[in-house]
Amino acid sequence: MTRYILRRFLQGIPLLFIISIVLFVLMMNMGDPIATMGGRTLLRPEDRLRLTRQLGLDKPIYIQYIYWLVGNDWTKVDMDGDGIAESAGTRHGILRGDFGTSLVKRGVPVLQVIGERLPNTLLLMIASEIVVVVGALLVGIYSALRQYSTFDHFITAILFIGYSMPIFFVGLLSMYIFSVLFKRWGLPYLPTVGMFDPTVGETFGQVAMHMILPVLTMSFVSFASYSRYIRSTMLEVMSQDYIRTAKSKGLPRLTVLLIHALKNASLPIVTIVGLDLPFLLGGAVVTERIFAWPGTGRLFLDHVARSDLPVVMGILMLIALAVVIFQIITDIVYAWLDPRIRFEA
Amino acid sequence: MSKKSVLSNTFALLVVACLILSGCGGGQKTQTPNKVATFIWNEEFDSLSPLYSNMWFSTITQQLWDCWPWNFDENNDPFPNLITEIPTIENGDISADGATITLHLQDGLKWSDNQPITSEDFRFTWAMAVDSKNTVASSYPYSQITSVDTPDPKTVVIHFDGPFAPWLTTFHGIIPAHILQPIYDADGTLDNAEWNTKPTIGCGPYVFSEWQSGSFARFTVNQNYWGTKPKISEIFIRFVPDNASQIAALTAGDGDLSTFFPYNEIPKLKNAGLTIITEPTGLNESLFFLDDTSGKLGNPGLRDVNVRKAIAMAIDREGIVRDLLLGMTEVPASYWSALPPFWNNPPLQNYPFDPQKARDLLDQTGWLDSNGDGVRDKDGVELVLTYGTTTENETRQNVQAVIKQQLAAIGIKVELQTYSSDTFFAQDGPAATGLVDIMEWSDGPTVPDPDVYYWYCSEIPTPDYPSGSNWQYLCDPELDALSALQITQVDPVERQKTISQMNQIFYDKVYWLGLWVDPDVWAVGTRLTGVKFSGATPFFNISEWDLVDK
Repeated sequence: MTRYILRRFLQGIPLLFIISIVLFVLMMNMGDPIATMGGRTLLRPEDRLRLTRQLGLDKPIYIQYIYWLVGNDWTKVDMDGDGIAESAGTRHGILRGDFGTSLVKRGVPVLQVIGERLPNTLLLMIASEIVVVVGALLVGIYSALRQYSTFDHFITAILFIGYSMPIFFVGLLSMYIFSVLFKRWGLPYLPTVGMFDPTVGETFGQVAMHMILPVLTMSFVSFASYSRYIRSTMLEVMSQDYIRTAKSKGLPRLTVLLIHALKNASLPIVTIVGLDLPFLLGGAVVTERIFAWPGTGRLFLDHVARSDLPVVMGILMLIALAVVIFQIITDIVYAWLDPRIRFEA
Repeated sequence: MSKKSVLSNTFALLVVACLILSGCGGGQKTQTPNKVATFIWNEEFDSLSPLYSNMWFSTITQQLWDCWPWNFDENNDPFPNLITEIPTIENGDISADGATITLHLQDGLKWSDNQPITSEDFRFTWAMAVDSKNTVASSYPYSQITSVDTPDPKTVVIHFDGPFAPWLTTFHGIIPAHILQPIYDADGTLDNAEWNTKPTIGCGPYVFSEWQSGSFARFTVNQNYWGTKPKISEIFIRFVPDNASQIAALTAGDGDLSTFFPYNEIPKLKNAGLTIITEPTGLNESLFFLDDTSGKLGNPGLRDVNVRKAIAMAIDREGIVRDLLLGMTEVPASYWSALPPFWNNPPLQNYPFDPQKARDLLDQTGWLDSNGDGVRDKDGVELVLTYGTTTENETRQNVQAVIKQQLAAIGIKVELQTYSSDTFFAQDGPAATGLVDIMEWSDGPTVPDPDVYYWYCSEIPTPDYPSGSNWQYLCDPELDALSALQITQVDPVERQKTISQMNQIFYDKVYWLGLWVDPDVWAVGTRLTGVKFSGATPFFNISEWDLVDK
């Protein structure tokens, strides 16, 4: 097992390297970060020239990639524009754990920029993932056990309505109903945006209350795929001979369902969850924007809009790394769930 | 544990969770003695340092906690803030040659840590702005200053390398030398100073308290403020990037002040009881024409003033303002229309919306549809123009569609292009490289100053000077000379005459066409009172603002 994990990690290194080159080249063609630094008017030409030079954006793309990868503290840069490189570089490169500094929030390390948002994103995404998985398990299992019942038809219809609706529409509609209209009608209402009410403060209750609409919005649109998947795998497992055997042995219904059926039906579900988990780091771009939730999804969008390459690359590389790690974890969980799977050759 | 007890425990837990949630964060606000005003900004500032950001949401927020030597009132006229009086030639604070400005600081000025504000803070601000070790957002106009003398703690003597008329654009925010000098000495740069994002020491009516990335920023009353203490105890700025959410939050009463929302949302805000206030900022939504003097770029038709005049008369700008902008603003006759009337004397009259006159003009000047393809042509040149703008502003796309239709009505075909801002305004982007015949964006003079530099012949981009700002590629020696003259005229009366001459050239030759005056549009909640805005320093009277429960 240890050798397997080590081998998979080693395989991940060239993969991440290739991903970094592809992403860097793509991101370099996003736009000009200097273009939007003038505020409401255009940046003056002398400032455009100066910032391009000072931020190293005048260098060829391969040099910029090398600096991003291994840093530039081994060379000198021209800060004053006299054509002579006089100042020592200060970047250490991603291989030495330095993701660089944001071009937009100048001087602020990328990891700090991302780190400020990551807890908020994880809070929102994990909460919605739990709601989705737990809810989908309950609904999926119940629908499988009561196939073609009225409940099954009803819940299927609701889920597909949710699945068909764009998330921004669900978000704005729920905000309008539960925040704006409920308040207008004098009913208890939910907050519109943000993480807490400034007059109350950032309390547990406030954050939980502000999470309700974004979590429900994300859950509503993701519920269908998970629950339908669970329903179909449960239906398949429940018709297997060993389930019939377990039932005929007189085992309690709950034991048959949870120990024998669900565990075996979980393998494909683990695959989906394993694929989804790394993307939790990336946040929910649309939901975070609508509900003004300060997560990495919004961070990504804001910094893409201003071509802030270090931050964008930082987020993308963290997601790529998470994908590699979670795939390994998924494989390990496979082995735990299904003893037939062995990692030795 | 029995099945029954598991169920009852789960139910009990759910009830407790519901009680906690409703108790801690329900829809009803807790009564607190503090007066907290919530502002909703739809862009988060990149930095709070006056040196490291040009972003509008940052510069206006700086007025809460930072201070300027002068502020601008609701008429955009300057008045003294840190200084005893505005420098003039008459009071001797502007030297006879116009190259030296002297500022006399008021008594009792203090930073929020009770340290005195001195002339050294001004000198340090200038020195940091022009230091090549600092990647500041703009070194201009500080780069025009050759030295700053500090003969005593209350006197600042600013030397320019020649007469510099736009001196009022300098020192928009000062930085505390006693805090930042040691950081610069240690790091060799201010780039990494924590103060840039957490300016805990300031000199405005409020002081920075907290900035949570992507979520909010909080400013509380500066207990050591040297001016009038504000009535509102806290300004809470919430970042809400989505326009629909911004409107929902405002109509639900979750914000007291906001701006930067689409015009078509204004009726909703008014219905919810918010007051809409517009304040000119000097900016105009503008059409810039690619009029390449060298004859290499763009459609040659645009080099004919008659074509540009026909375009001016073919676009129903009043209609656009009335229908798309709900009549909330007006059509500018001049590049300087959004500045105080002083700079628009004598005022110009707009080209009228007269498509027939536009067609007649094109007919008379030989622009006819000779090949019957529905597009006018002359000497083999078809009047097919590319028209580009940015994607971020929905109104622009609507206006593009209207203008395309209206120009088609006089036989000019328009091909629409849209780009994200970081592409459109890039140094190697379509506007800078002469790929767009008609360019649209919001721009204006160097507010609050009338200075303009886009049309200098020397600013035409070349392979050796790709960052040039003359994206019209137009070189008019007369306009060039007047542009160079006005920036040296420290006597406003003399300068106004030069600006008027430039104005007339712009008008006669239609080098530029204003679509609408682009003001700040503010939505003010029902609780806020005493609110006034300025285009240059919007929060100039924020100490007088108050919150009342309604």
